[in-house]
Amino acid sequence: MNLKSFSRARAVHLMLVYTGGCNGCDIEIVNCVLSPKFDVEQYKVFLTWNPREADVLLVSGPVTRFNEEPLKKIYEAIPEPKAVVAAGSCALMGGVYKNIHGDIPSEEIMGPVENIIPVDAKVPGCAVRPEDLISGVVAALPKLLEAD
Amino acid sequence: MTEDKRPIKQEIIETEVSMGTVHPAALEPYRVRLFVEDEIVKDAEITVGVNHRGIERIMEGLPVEKANALTEKVCGICSNAHIWNSVLTAEKGLGIEIPQRANYIRVIVEELERLHSHCLYLAHGSEVLGHETFSMRAFYLRETAMELLRMIGGNRVQYGASIIGGVRPRCELNEMRLQKIADGMDTFEKGILDFADRFSSDPIVMSRIEGIGVISQKQAKELEVTGPCLRSTGLAQDLRTVMKEYEDFDFEVITQDDGDVKSNILMRVLEVPESIKIIRQAIKNLPKGPIIDRSWEMFDCDTIKSYIEVPRGTLYHSYGIEDGRVRGSIIRTPSMTNIGAMQLACIGDHITDAQLCIVQCDPCFTCTDRAIEVIKI
Ligand code: SF4
Repeated sequence: MNLKSFSRARAVHLMLVYTGGCNGCDIEIVNCVLSPKFDVEQYKVFLTWNPREADVLLVSGPVTRFNEEPLKKIYEAIPEPKAVVAAGSCALMGGVYKNIHGDIPSEEIMGPVENIIPVDAKVPGCAVRPEDLISGVVAALPKLLEAD
Repeated sequence: MTEDKRPIKQEIIETEVSMGTVHPAALEPYRVRLFVEDEIVKDAEITVGVNHRGIERIMEGLPVEKANALTEKVCGICSNAHIWNSVLTAEKGLGIEIPQRANYIRVIVEELERLHSHCLYLAHGSEVLGHETFSMRAFYLRETAMELLRMIGGNRVQYGASIIGGVRPRCELNEMRLQKIADGMDTFEKGILDFADRFSSDPIVMSRIEGIGVISQKQAKELEVTGPCLRSTGLAQDLRTVMKEYEDFDFEVITQDDGDVKSNILMRVLEVPESIKIIRQAIKNLPKGPIIDRSWEMFDCDTIKSYIEVPRGTLYHSYGIEDGRVRGSIIRTPSMTNIGAMQLACIGDHITDAQLCIVQCDPCFTCTDRAIEVIKI
């Protein structure tokens, strides 16, 4: 382990981007950082809203038309190495918003997130359970820590 | 008597501070433009529409049962409110009488949701205020309600308790569950009193939130503000007092006088014990009997309308039924009507308080994004 990954492991910053889901996943994500019951801050994982500071990008929601550009920009603003975690069935496959029509394509929804930016870990659930989310983020961490 | 706030119309407005659509200070994507002079906000403009997913259009032509389940995805905070009102709309049109026990269970779920929504408000408010300890305390308190909801519905956010004719069999409350809810309410009551005590005796926090973001009662009425935001200006208006679902329960409508951030926060704190009171009554008097009545028939209906009181205000659903399918659905969420108040609340305050003034109206822009609203000032 070199110095960079040593220090990176001691302050992992998550950034949450919300791309048009129903708010359920977002509140659960914020919950699992701020609520004392889950409290990932004790493992030195912090929530930030600044892409230039972030290491892991958490995306929730099915990516609506207006959110596509901001999502790309935010992804580009995050410095290397970076990991992307898609949280919730909306982010994984468009959720009810995209799929309830059957085969008719939806015009509002540009997602799932995979279509727009590369995704490293996927956390299913509607809404995601905080426990699952924590394990999802942990699964994406090796990518950060093994990079130099 | 507080004065009405008007945006000051001038030739030149010095500086425009625009935030959004994705911005560190705001949890949800929306755009706000603040027109600032000498660090005082002169005018504010909020634009929504980024989250538009077109739920009403997706609902069009779906079977009623499926459409009801879909309305839950309008909002992840007050999800039960949407499914409940949507189911009530169908029941009103089809003339279905639900068993009393089912109604009591629905009320319990709705009041639990009010508890967690108000706690979320307190947590979010404290976070924006810059006081993370209070925020964590409120989140911890909220966990009690979330665990109870998970026990009842099997999921922490989308629990889907109501279906046409009653509640889902999964949500039946047996002795053990009732006992757990009763214990949870004791914990919650103790926690919220503790929180209120700490919060109101903190002079720094109090001096920060007092007297900012004031909305006068007259203006609140003009803008058709609903819910706790309206009650915090001194007007006792709560749809629960006239809803037939709540007629067995005894509770008080809380009001505050000032319409500023402080009264908004205290409003939420004081509403929590009332909700606990309702839940306790429901547990005590829970009628025996079935929880679902499946002997209803589908027929065509013209537009049916239904209003209920949800944690953040008045919720409106309407649709017609044709061949068992939904036609012409309209949903109006409380945050939609409160946007006007959010814009005006910032005017005249320091720019550092602007975000707090917006948050005091309990915004949920996710559920708001379904129509375009024009406000005349
Ligand atoms: S996955 Fe479910 S809870 Fe999460 S944003 Fe989508 S609809 Fe909401």
